[in-house]
Parts: sequence; structure tokens; C-alpha cells
Amino acid sequence: MADELDLNSLNDEELVGQMHDDLYDGLKDEIEQAVHILLGRGWQPYDVLTQALVEGMRVVGEDFRDGILFVPEVLLAANAMKAGMAILRPLLAETGAPKIGKMVIGTVKGDIHDIGKNLVAMMMEGAGFEVINIGINNAVENFLAAIAEHQPDIIGMSALLTTTMPYMKVVIDTLKEKGMRNDFIVLVGGAPLNEAFANAIGADAYCRDAAVAVETAKNLMARRQGSVQERARA
Amino acid sequence: MPDAEIPPVGRRGAGRAARRAARLAPVAASVPFITRRIPLYAVLNDEGLALIEHNADTVLEEVGIDFKGDAEALALWREAGAGIDGERVHIPRGLCRSIIAAHAPAHYTQHARNPARSVVIGDDHTVFAPAYGPPFVHDLDHGRRYGTIEDFRNFVRLAYLSPWLHHSGGTVCEPVDLPVNKRHLDMVYSHMRYSDKPFMGSVTAPERAADTVAMAEILFGADWIDPATGRPRTAVTSLINANSPLVWDATMLGALKTYARANQANLITPFILAGAMAPVTAVGACTVTLAEAMAGIAFTQLVSPGAPVILGSFCSSISMKSGAPTFGTPEPSLVLFVMAALARRLGVPFRSGGALCAAKIPDAQAAYESAMTMLPACLAGTNFILHTAGWLEGGLAMGYEKFVMDADQAGMLQTLLNGVDLSPGGQAMDAIREVGPGRHFLGCAHTQAHFATAFHTSSLANNNSFEQWEAEGRQDMAQRANAQWKRMLRDYEPPPIDPATDDALLDFIARRKAAFPDSNV
Ligand code: B12
Repeated sequence: MADELDLNSLNDEELVGQMHDDLYDGLKDEIEQAVHILLGRGWQPYDVLTQALVEGMRVVGEDFRDGILFVPEVLLAANAMKAGMAILRPLLAETGAPKIGKMVIGTVKGDIHDIGKNLVAMMMEGAGFEVINIGINNAVENFLAAIAEHQPDIIGMSALLTTTMPYMKVVIDTLKEKGMRNDFIVLVGGAPLNEAFANAIGADAYCRDAAVAVETAKNLMARRQGSVQERARA
Repeated sequence: MPDAEIPPVGRRGAGRAARRAARLAPVAASVPFITRRIPLYAVLNDEGLALIEHNADTVLEEVGIDFKGDAEALALWREAGAGIDGERVHIPRGLCRSIIAAHAPAHYTQHARNPARSVVIGDDHTVFAPAYGPPFVHDLDHGRRYGTIEDFRNFVRLAYLSPWLHHSGGTVCEPVDLPVNKRHLDMVYSHMRYSDKPFMGSVTAPERAADTVAMAEILFGADWIDPATGRPRTAVTSLINANSPLVWDATMLGALKTYARANQANLITPFILAGAMAPVTAVGACTVTLAEAMAGIAFTQLVSPGAPVILGSFCSSISMKSGAPTFGTPEPSLVLFVMAALARRLGVPFRSGGALCAAKIPDAQAAYESAMTMLPACLAGTNFILHTAGWLEGGLAMGYEKFVMDADQAGMLQTLLNGVDLSPGGQAMDAIREVGPGRHFLGCAHTQAHFATAFHTSSLANNNSFEQWEAEGRQDMAQRANAQWKRMLRDYEPPPIDPATDDALLDFIARRKAAFPDSNV
């Protein structure tokens, strides 16, 4: 435990290393404290984010993938990450740093399966995304309301029943009707889906698990921001 | 089958042709359901069971359980004496048990359209039913793909043909090629037309449950009402899952009420992935299961006193390293034994088990994991074993080869449950006297009388010499199973049905389909 350790006594490099360990160990209070210390020492919020938090969670993600870490441990790590992000997010917005991204995620109408969706939400938060989890049994109106309120970059839909999978298309078609479809990255998931289905309904990607969801979200965000920057330059 | 008739094999038999025909024909369904003649296996004593009962009552009283989106349910509970806080129902200690003791039957007959195939669910009986729910199907030739109505019919046909499956099941696979709001009509019809075994109904919406009941009424015609009770006969058993932890939702409650009011059976099942939907310990999972099940079962009796009901328990663990459900692990087997004992103390039939596995193909993992659940389910005295045949990939796929492999195993388990024959024939003293020391038993009168049925013979296992197996193409179990299911489907003939009944069913379906537009939502 880090009880005895005074984080202030560490130099920058030691502190960042310690933060990687503290994220790994899911120590939320310590992460919050360390974020404040780095900011106090004049660090750019974006550097705190990338060098301390994202890098630490990269290691967590790797060890989750390799079967070393257990889900409850990753949950704690993600919560610590989320706490650090909560401090950085307003500062990042002020400094115009590249966005990691915001996601609205929910299980679609008629469906109450949420274990997988919650795992995805947890891993996305762990990767620094801001996640608005709108729960289960969501009609298209709920997605629209969440979009209006939170202005997300990514919309995530989960369905575990063949009887509710088609509802994902209802949501996507509604976005199209409203001319909003291209404003968002749409990710879909759930065990009975496959890639062909995701293509058929017009989603951007199907993700077979939470780790793939994070990878895909990062890639698509990078591509999107690239094209946004390109457009700005043109 | 200790009391089966043994056909004579005397010299005045009909010679080769007759015997070949008899031996190669598929074995006829031996019994409509199993009556267990071996003792129960218990993992907890009365004190342990009483502790879990106490804790479950504490959960219901103190934590409470949600009945969501159903004002009528809340009213019924209030009237029964429960405390209502929003949608949360706090049920006083002992209330569920007393409602259940007063009204819920300890066993019931689920009628089949062929009366010889009706099953008794409860007491010391066991009924095997196929797997339920998979959106995908799998076979060696085509791999994994979404299920269609033709796959659905095929699995109904295979279950009909299997002498070891007593029940046609429900959603044997999901016919993804049909519109969501109408596919239940074709599913229920398939069970009625392509099999004459009992089956399960639709639960995905109350009106789909009502369609199921209406079709059962047409199917049973004049036999629908039991003159002894003035109520409909129980012809459908349907799967009602809790949304664990501690939630009953409007969809399931709607189907439950529809069936209970029509005197049809509800299979009340908390389906728990321990670690995610209940604590990680066996006792914790049992406590949540019992609390949810008691609340669900008592609710059926508030809706319709005396309506048949089963206590179901589906518990699996999850991989704590990925969240993926795991099957055939030992902890859920312990839960199964405990829940079976708790259901007996509650006085209601028990459902659990199945040939559960996480394997993607019919391989060694599939076989080991399946056996790890089927054997405990049988030894625990489980009355209704859903998912006995076909289950792959945690319920995501229904396997053709896996189906016939599992059915073959079910035959073995039936023999195990039949127990030990202590009759004079079973004692075989005449054989021991006749043969005496130092000779063999193959020719003695007793063996001549019993050889054909003495040992359960697998229709799939290969016991030949290495050389013969090699000469026959080195086929593994799955390849042999592939040949078997194809042969079964090729030779399948539907059971006869009264054409007027069939027309009435088809007419009902046509009218229902015309009544509202197709929809996939
Ligand atoms: C647990 C479970 C339940 C629980 C759900 C509890 C809960 N709080 O979620 C309960 C018991 C309530 C339940 C109920 C029912 N269930 Co259910 N259930 C399952 C089961 C066994 C596991 C699902 C699960 O949690 N997996 C673990 C998680 C970690 O995996 P996952 O969900 O696939 O998620 C991962 C990926 O898919 C992906 N992902 C998921 N969502 C998203 C979203 C995005 C945006 C992205 C990027 C990625 C992503 O990442 C996740 C993490 O790695 C599945 C079978 C199976 N093996 O999948 C059946 C299953 C899905 N259920 C099924 C059925 C039929 C039902 C019921 C209709 C049964 C009934 N008669 O009552 C009801 C329906 C209730 C309803 N209205 O929704 C069928 C569905 C098949 C079909 N025909 O469509 C299945 C396949 C089982 C079966 N054979 O019957 N069920």
C-alpha cells in the first residue's frame, strides 16, 4: 500500500511511475492526489493525461487481455482513471487538447441484458473516454435525448436477443432521417451479433468484446479527428 | 428398462430379414418420462438448508424484490400482506412459503397431443428436454450460422425421433429468418405439427403467450377442458426468467400471468451468472435464487391458485478474467444439488441442469463440461432438465452433432436412474447355478433371455478394434453423429394429425399474421 508514501516527495518521473502502479492497484484517492500534484507543478493537462493516466491504463489493458488481471481489479483501476479524468476533463477542454472522446452507451428496447454493456462502459472509462451509460431497455427517444444532452462522439448499442437486435437499425435509421448519422461513430455489440449484421444495419463497427471496443473506438476517433483537422486546414 | 418386454428370439422366429429389420430400426421411445429408482445425492444437511431458507426470507423482507412495470402485481402483493415501496416489494418472512404450501401443486401432468407421451413433472420423475434459445446453429458441414425456421423444424424432428428426449422443448433455435412479432406462431406450430411430444410456449410478450394458449386450445379441441376440474388441461410449460438480482420485469410477468390464468405451467427460473448477478459463493447464489424463485412462484399462486409451477435454477459461473459465462464448472453443480433440495422442501418440482458447455464445436471440452452438469442434475433428482441436447457456446449455438451426442448420453442417464433390478431376474441365481465355476455366461438361458436389453448400447460410441475403426475411415464421435442426424432427418415421418385440427391451426395462424403488419421490433 501507498499509505506511508508522501507523493509530494517524489520527483516527476518517480511520481508518474508511482501513478502507473497506483492505477494498476486501483487506488483512486492516490490518483486524484497525484493529478493535482502534477498540475500544481505546471504540467499541461494533456501531458498528465497521456503520460500518467493513459499510459498506466495501457498496461492495465494489456494485463487484462493476457489474463493476468481479474475483472473486479480492472473495475477498480477504471474507477481510479475515471476520478483522474474528472479533474482533467474541464482543463483539457479549456486548452483545446485533442479529445479522447465521449460515448453514450445503452442496451436497446426490449432487452435487459447489461453485463457485457457495463463491461464495455468500464473499459472505455478505463481508457479515458467519458461514458454516459443510459442503462437497459432504451427506445430510440432515449438515445436521442442522451445525444442532445451530452453531445457524444460515439453511440454504443448493445443487444443480446435476436428479437431486439433489429432495433439497433431503428436507431441508426432514425439518425439517418434526422441527418445526424455522420455526426457519430456507431459501435454495436452483444453475443448474437456478428460483423455481417453490423454492416447490414449501417453501424461503423461490431466489437466482439470490451478490449476490441476500446481499440476500435480509439482508431475511429483518431481517424475522425484527423479528418476534422484536415477539413479545418482545407 | 427392468420391466420391458423381451421379444422372443426362438428358432421359430422369422429369420434374418425380420431380425435385421427389428435391430436396425430406431429404438421406439421406451418410456414417456423417467421414474428415478436411485437415492438422491445431497451436499447439505437440513441445518445448512434451513440457514439458506432463513437468509432468503431475510432478503425478501429486508432488501426486497422489484416487480417492475406491473401495477397489478404490486396490488396483488399489497393485498397478500407485503410492504410496497415504489416498485419494491418487501415480503414478510414466511409469506411466500405459506402461499406456495397452500396452493402450488407438488407435481403436474403436462399433456401431449399424443396421450402416451404426456409427462409427469415433479416427485421422483425426470423429463429430458432439448436446449432452448440459441440464435445460431452449428453443424460440421456448414459451421456456424443464424438459425432459420427450417433448422427449428429439424430440431423438433430430431427430438421427436429421439427415444431419450421426453419433451420437444421450446425455442430449440431462434428462426431469425422470420419477423420478430410473428415467428412465435410458426415456432409453436412446428412443435404441434412435427412432434407429438409436449412443448414450451412463447414468453417474449403477453400477446404471444396468449397466441400459444389459443393454439393449444385448438390442438386439444374437446379435450382442452378437464371435466374433473373444469379448468384447461396443462398443455404448455413456459420459461419465465428472473432478471437477477432481485428483479421481475413486465415482459416476463405479463407472460407469466397469461399462462397462469389459463392453468398452464410456469417455469420460474432465476438464471444467475454468479459473480455478476449474485455473490460468488454457492450459498450466496442459492440465497438469491431461492428468494427470487419463491417470490415468482408465490406470485403465480396469487394470480391463479393451483396453477402448475416449477422452481428453476440456472446457475453458471463467469470467468472473472473476462466476464464470459463458463459452464460445466464444479461450483454451479454444488448450487444445483442445494437448489434441488430446497425445491423439495418447498414442495414444488425442480428444473436445472442440461448438457451445458462453453465449447464452440462438439469436442472434448463440450463432452466433459456437459457431463459435469448432466450427471449432477440427474443425481440431484431434477424433475425437468431443459438443455439436455444440443447446447454449445454458452447457449449461443444449437449443434446438430451435439444434439444427437447429448441425446445418446441421455439414454445412458435414463438407465442409470432406473437403478438396480432386485427381482429374481435381476438376481440371476439361475444363471450362476447353470454356469457354475470355470465356464462362461454367454450361452446360458438367463443371458439368452436378457442379452438384447441388458446393457444400454450407445448408438454413437465406437468400441471396435483399432484396425476396424481405421478401415471404416477413422471417424471421430462428431463425424459419426453427423451421419446419424442426417439419417434421422432423411427417414423422418411426421406423426399423424387430424386434418381438421391442422387446418384450424393454420387458419388461426393465417388470421393472426394478417391482423397486423410484420415487424422486427
Ligand atoms: C446472463 C444472461 C441473461 C440474464 C441477463 C442479466 C443481465 N443483467 O444482463 C437474464 C437471466 C436476465 C437473461 C434473460 C433472458 N435471456 Co439471456 N442470456 C444470458 C447469457 C447466459 C449471458 C449474457 C452475458 O451476460 N454474457 C457475458 C457478457 C460479458 O458478454 P456479452 O453480453 O456478449 O458482452 C460482450 C460482447 O458481446 C461485447 N458487447 C456487448 N455489448 C456491447 C455493446 C457495444 C457498444 C460494444 C462495442 C460491445 C458490446 O462486449 C462485451 C464484453 O466483452 C446469454 C448467453 C450467452 N452465452 O451470451 C443468454 C441469452 C442472450 N439470453 C437469451 C434469452 C432467450 C433470454 C430470455 C428471453 C429468456 C427467457 N425466456 O426469459 C430473457 C430475456 C430478457 C430480456 N427481455 O432481455 C438467449 C438469446 C437468444 C435469442 N434467441 O435471441 C441467450 C443466447 C441464451 C439462450 N440460449 O437462451 N439472460
